[in-house]
Amino acid sequence: MNEVVNASAELTSQLSDRFAAIHPSLPGGHEAWVRVLRKNAMAKVERLGMPTTRHEAWKYTDVRKYLDRLIADATDTGAAPVSTDDLAAFAFDGVDCHRIVVVNGEVSPSLSTLETIPAGLRIESVARLLIEEPDLLEPYLHDLHLSGAFAELNNAMMSDGVYLNIPDGMVVKKPIHLLFLTTEGGSSASYIRNLIVAGEYSQATVIEHFGSIGDSSAFINTATDIDLHAGGQLEHYKLQQSGLKEVNIGSIRAHQHRDSYYHSHSVAFGAALSRRDIHVEMNGEGGECSLNGLYLVGGRQHVDHHTRIDHVRPNCRSRESYKGVIGGRARAVFNGKVVVHTGADQTDSAQSNANLLLSDKAEIDTKPDLEIHADDVKCAHGATVGQLDMNQLFYLRSRGLSEVEARNVLMFAFADEVLAAIKVPEVRKYLERLAFEKLPHGAGLEGLLG
Amino acid sequence: MLEIRDLHVSVAGKEILKGINLDVKAGEVHAIMGPNGSGKSTLSNIIAGRDGYEITQGSVTYKGADLLEMSPEERAWEGVFLAFQYPVEIPGVNNTYLLKAGVNAKRKHLGQGELDAMEFMQLVKDKAKLVELDQSFLSRSVNEGFSGGEKKRNEIFQMAVLEPSLALLDETDSGLDIDALRIVAGGVNKLRSPERAVVLVTHYQRLLDYIEPDVVHVLAGGRILKSGDKALALELEERGYDWVLEEAAA
Repeated sequence: MNEVVNASAELTSQLSDRFAAIHPSLPGGHEAWVRVLRKNAMAKVERLGMPTTRHEAWKYTDVRKYLDRLIADATDTGAAPVSTDDLAAFAFDGVDCHRIVVVNGEVSPSLSTLETIPAGLRIESVARLLIEEPDLLEPYLHDLHLSGAFAELNNAMMSDGVYLNIPDGMVVKKPIHLLFLTTEGGSSASYIRNLIVAGEYSQATVIEHFGSIGDSSAFINTATDIDLHAGGQLEHYKLQQSGLKEVNIGSIRAHQHRDSYYHSHSVAFGAALSRRDIHVEMNGEGGECSLNGLYLVGGRQHVDHHTRIDHVRPNCRSRESYKGVIGGRARAVFNGKVVVHTGADQTDSAQSNANLLLSDKAEIDTKPDLEIHADDVKCAHGATVGQLDMNQLFYLRSRGLSEVEARNVLMFAFADEVLAAIKVPEVRKYLERLAFEKLPHGAGLEGLLG
Repeated sequence: MLEIRDLHVSVAGKEILKGINLDVKAGEVHAIMGPNGSGKSTLSNIIAGRDGYEITQGSVTYKGADLLEMSPEERAWEGVFLAFQYPVEIPGVNNTYLLKAGVNAKRKHLGQGELDAMEFMQLVKDKAKLVELDQSFLSRSVNEGFSGGEKKRNEIFQMAVLEPSLALLDETDSGLDIDALRIVAGGVNKLRSPERAVVLVTHYQRLLDYIEPDVVHVLAGGRILKSGDKALALELEERGYDWVLEEAAA
């Protein structure tokens, strides 16, 4: 165990050296408060150390073998430029989006389509704002509640990302598509920071979409902070189809004011290792949130979701449903915490996590976690782990479906219950197609979509 | 069409079928009747190819081929259909999708072209009318949230669409009210033809008021104890099963 600690300490100190070398050149370096923010964050990383399986929150997720990528030389080693043709694979056919593309951790204005955004809506590069309008970001970056070494590291090293400000009362009709691409030969680590400020009674759909071009083995670290004002409604999708050698670790923190609706969907298909920490604070009365998730993994993939919902104020409702299909030697982790604070009466909370294991070597570690400090509440939770239902399988085969097809149909039906909650039909279709491709012999099943 | 010879089947070491002999010819309707626990459902499941049974002796030949060597889907492609006693709910799988996949897999196996979407929808709509199934059922998940009677009607609807050569109905009549029974029987009678055979597995005689059988068998204790014409069914209705058991024991 001491070896583990020493290795972690060694790596943390290498990270500090790296930070010392590059931070003056990071965006916002000319601003005193940005420099202080970054240095304080790095100091916290040093104090916390990078996670090992000895940290309770990282017990089942071992990141050690990937951490070297954080200290590798981060300069581009001749990544091929991304063209608009490359984007076709990541487009949702049939729906027009406001699109902003971030390549290897930097916003690409030429690939983004922001000409037609409604007056008053701001979709901006965080790097540009740190350089040109740092005052705009200051209240939000200081007010972070993100926690943990990766989030702090993101604070220290953030290079770019997207700032989104939806004015009070605005209904943004087109989905806002934030496409984060990594490319073969791109930097080995990228730190993406997003900020979403949704005004009172505003409505928007924001899609955070991670994909790779070529054989990338990037370590992607992302953090998204959401401030959802009274009566605001936000549909927030996180679609992770990272390359199979990549690591994608990030956190999402949503701060909800009264009567606001936050709907989060986390879909994880790719990456060698991925993790999302999603933390929703229901800080105003009458709020509602739903957290939906789907992970489909195989081979030796590892996927981890840690969610936390804080019911701080009374009369809020939360719903959470995560489902996973785990094959090969893949491993999935789900940890869903719900905290009902003192005085948060009339809380209505329900959580479920259902898993389908496709092989003897596949593994799921699931833990629902309820903490209730109020009396008058309704809370439910449950987790299931199972295999395909033999009666259903026989029924389908007796109607003429081959065994492979019958298995795929059942797996797809299981997964699609989560995708059915996605409100943009074109996005749902896109994900269903990806899900087919992930299933063993899944091609030719598209008839299900009809 | 179907020849069963000296079939012995065990489940978890316990012998359930103890030497079944049965001949079903094209164009015939057979009724297999018997008390609960007699092995009726085991026989249906064996013919349809469900796992979990050990066949210790005997043979089942269908259209001249060894049925026991075939997978459940191969049996379906060759025209075997089982209407389940307890139809399974499959959330998320569309009823129409299931039928389309089933019909086209069979057509492919038989070297016929797949039906296009228009042809298929027409077929499905016609058959839905036949069993008085509301068209809204077509777009619902397989059996999910269906009442008991709706599930049984859905089985007969699937049978009508798949047009099997050999249809096995496993207690399709149980739990049906008189209207549903009439509809189910109507669906079966419309399927009757000189090329097809039907095996009705049932506990009660009342289905046979609507579907007239050519042969009636009494299955009890894993053996066929008696066979006869439709008069046997009426006698069973009147006198129960005990006299057959006593006769066999004598």
